[in-house]
Amino acid sequence: MRPFWRRRTTDDFAAEVQAHIDLETDRLIGEGRSPAAAREAALRAFGNVTRVKERFYEAGRWLWLEQLGGDLRYGWRGLIHNPAFLATSVLTLAVGLALVTVAFTVFNAYVLRPYAVRDPYSLHLIGWRAQDNGGQRFRWRDYEELSRRQDLFAAVVAESTRLVSSNGRPLAIALVSGNYFEALGPRVSLGRALGGIDAAPGAGPAAVLSHQAWVRMFAADRSILGRALDVNGRPFIVVGVLAPDFTGLADMPRDAWVALPAYAAAAQPELVGAEQPRSLEIVARLRADVTPARASGALSPYFAGVMTAERAVRATVTPQPTANPLSLEMLAVLAPVFAAFVLVLVTACANVSNVMLARALTRHREIAVRLSIGASRGRVVRQLLTEGLLISLLGGGAGLALASWLLRAGTVLFVGALPASVAEFLRITPMPLDHRVYLFALGLAAAATLMFALLPALQASRLSLTDALRGQGSASRRGSRLRATLVAGQVAVSLVLVIVAATIARNGAAVADVDLGYETAGVLSINIRGESNALASPLARALESDPRVAEVAVTLNNPLFIRSRRVAAAPADHPDAVPTRFTFVSPGYFPLLRIPMTGGRGFSADEARSSARVAIVSAATAARFWPGQDPVGQTIRLEPAGDRRIEEIPGYSRVTVIGTVPDVVSGFVVDGPDAGHIYLPVAPDGKYAEALLVRGRSAQDLGPEALQELFRRVAADPQVFEVLPLGDMRTLQLYPLRAAAWIGFVLGLVALGLSVFGLYGVLTYAVSQRTREIGIRMALGATAGAVVGLVMRQSARLTGFGAGAGLVVAFGALRALNAAVRFETISLLDVSAFAGGLALVLASSALAALVPARRASRLDPAQTLRADG
Amino acid sequence: MSTRSDRLALMQGTLDVLILRTLIFGPQHGQGIARAIQETSDDELLVEHGALYPALQRLEAQGWIAARWGTSANNRRARFYTLTKSGRAQLVREANRWNRLAAAMARVLGPEPEKG
Repeated sequence: MRPFWRRRTTDDFAAEVQAHIDLETDRLIGEGRSPAAAREAALRAFGNVTRVKERFYEAGRWLWLEQLGGDLRYGWRGLIHNPAFLATSVLTLAVGLALVTVAFTVFNAYVLRPYAVRDPYSLHLIGWRAQDNGGQRFRWRDYEELSRRQDLFAAVVAESTRLVSSNGRPLAIALVSGNYFEALGPRVSLGRALGGIDAAPGAGPAAVLSHQAWVRMFAADRSILGRALDVNGRPFIVVGVLAPDFTGLADMPRDAWVALPAYAAAAQPELVGAEQPRSLEIVARLRADVTPARASGALSPYFAGVMTAERAVRATVTPQPTANPLSLEMLAVLAPVFAAFVLVLVTACANVSNVMLARALTRHREIAVRLSIGASRGRVVRQLLTEGLLISLLGGGAGLALASWLLRAGTVLFVGALPASVAEFLRITPMPLDHRVYLFALGLAAAATLMFALLPALQASRLSLTDALRGQGSASRRGSRLRATLVAGQVAVSLVLVIVAATIARNGAAVADVDLGYETAGVLSINIRGESNALASPLARALESDPRVAEVAVTLNNPLFIRSRRVAAAPADHPDAVPTRFTFVSPGYFPLLRIPMTGGRGFSADEARSSARVAIVSAATAARFWPGQDPVGQTIRLEPAGDRRIEEIPGYSRVTVIGTVPDVVSGFVVDGPDAGHIYLPVAPDGKYAEALLVRGRSAQDLGPEALQELFRRVAADPQVFEVLPLGDMRTLQLYPLRAAAWIGFVLGLVALGLSVFGLYGVLTYAVSQRTREIGIRMALGATAGAVVGLVMRQSARLTGFGAGAGLVVAFGALRALNAAVRFETISLLDVSAFAGGLALVLASSALAALVPARRASRLDPAQTLRADG
Repeated sequence: MSTRSDRLALMQGTLDVLILRTLIFGPQHGQGIARAIQETSDDELLVEHGALYPALQRLEAQGWIAARWGTSANNRRARFYTLTKSGRAQLVREANRWNRLAAAMARVLGPEPEKG
């Protein structure tokens, strides 16, 4: 069919008809007739001119639409006549489509959806890179310098995000430059956005709320304007509320925005003072005629000038239209995840395809009649595809509804499964079903139609007319082979998903069983947000003097939060230093965590205060450096690890070992116990004291209120301290593993359910086709057991093929997966995961086969033989 | 028009082949095609000229023929149809099919029964 704009006009066609009649008239005149007679004869030979023009009109414009309409009407009537078929197919598809749509919606929210601002595609994130360092944090004065570069940028905005306290609860705020809202232009739903006047000297403290925070904190109260928002005990007047679609220039939504100069004036003068912290992210709108490369070239000299400590500094200018711009690496990680979701949809399609194949067989007669009265095969295929499209559009609609429900339920589960201490300051980006999701769902439904309806349609249109009209399904042999392949494929897919999920779960369980080597119960970790560690010492003092606190320790980095820093070490007289890790801990660290000394002694308070050159080493380090000897009293040498400069450890060229401790998990639980570790002493006021560990006398004693009150004595903003029970951190580390296993299991079980369904359908159909054969067998003396065996053998063949293929593919998938996420703790070919998955799939298949098998065994031979000859 | 009722009515699909076949000899307009069909079949085949146009339209939509306006031998404007490459292939396929069908029909019907 031509596109409408290239279709011929009726005028053009009328001209052609006129030309025809004129030519014919000319010819007849040439034969010697009079002009009038010639014209009459020409018209007669042509026939009904109006009718011909009508047909042109119909064919050109409306026929295809009319045919589609007819197909839809006809398809709908057929479907409505068979509500069981319609409901099963629509629901099956809805499940498959919903799962893929959920995956896409999350992907869309984090990766595809551009910021809801004006012209998001001109936004670029500014960063810097040096020889062995890099970052994206800048000072206020860097922002001021960049905003003067009007030769490069149409606008430059700065933003610094942080958690503050608002009536004792964490509040995620962004401190922004005065031009932020004007330059970005997000929609405002109530009041006004911040402007230059809010950043001017002497401006009153004003705040803009996010829609989500407005709903959560103020129950969407429309009289919020003019009321005060508590920011660390200081009132900021709410002047506006943003529309729901903008939550900040990152994937972690902000609760409120405040002008940075106003915040600095009220709470933190150094932000704009002489010693400005590097805490701003700078986003620039590139001028249309400037490329990122040119901008970074133009900025590099300035960055090199202000970062004198670094070598080979250059600026980076990267497009940032969405929170996480799409990259190849990201696709490589996400592709297998998405593939797992798509596999479930494929299983669902296989099911519907199977039912349609069976239905097409029962419709042989109808299709044969249509073919024999002149329908082209293409026309029949189109009719069947239209039916498929109808089913998948219904399925897609139901799938979207299901997807939106799944997203809400999933978010609740996701947050609910997190430790409360983490959930409190976690904000989840809105995941709307926007036009991209709708388009995707539509395309997906169309693709699904091709997946499930094309095969049956082609199959049906290829039938032999004479056989079909006589009522014999000779095409059923090929049809049943196709259906067998589909079912075997389904079994394979579900086995793959179940085995992968089981392996991930087994891996997760193995990681969860890892003995940390210390006691987390009752221990709180306190990290200091931001860059200043000046608060560690006063906080340690405040905690030590508090009667509710039993023990306090300070460290360079608390266990379970990050891997300890890398260093190279060797016995002092040994030439080759080997990579290992180290941290600084105060004398109270080992007793607080209940880590026993296995040799020598712990640090003394004097050693901590004087930064004495003494060390405690882990069992693994001791065994490596001095196998079979007593490490206590030995000396070691510390060097920078690899090519990275470590300025932090000057002068640790000779350190005396004074004690040993067992191997513990200091970094990530998945890594297992440290392969080597060195502890150096530090006091609370030392340079390397950046985090604290506290153990209360009892759990209730150090509740959130008590801590907030304690923190407020030390710092203006209690949210500068990040408190997390150490046990929660372990839960948090295991969380992704657990979530992956759960998602895998859900996908696997849905796929398994679908394939059990499919197998059941195929066998039921096969039994109905073999009724006569089974009747004869029984008449000849086959027992019920033998008949059950017959059907079960057929089922076993199907599942056998599927399971075999599934096992191979599962192993391949795990190997691929292992490249992305390492299964440290268990082998790839985890016997119990494979055996368990196989047993589950085989058992459910057997169960699916048992019903048709038993039905077959209860056939009455007399009846089946008497039935239609 | 005494001979008219004796002429053969066209079976479905026949016209398409006839048109394609006619265009083998070069571009032709609708009236020319109609004449050519009648002449080459010795006036045996009944073609209502108007019936040609839906067929031409169909063939054009399939891409088997292409059309453009031009000038006829006696200097009248007319729409000329040309056989395309895929049209040529289609003609070979269809001609084959017709020959086979005709042969099969002839076998089935056997020798013409004697009159009387």
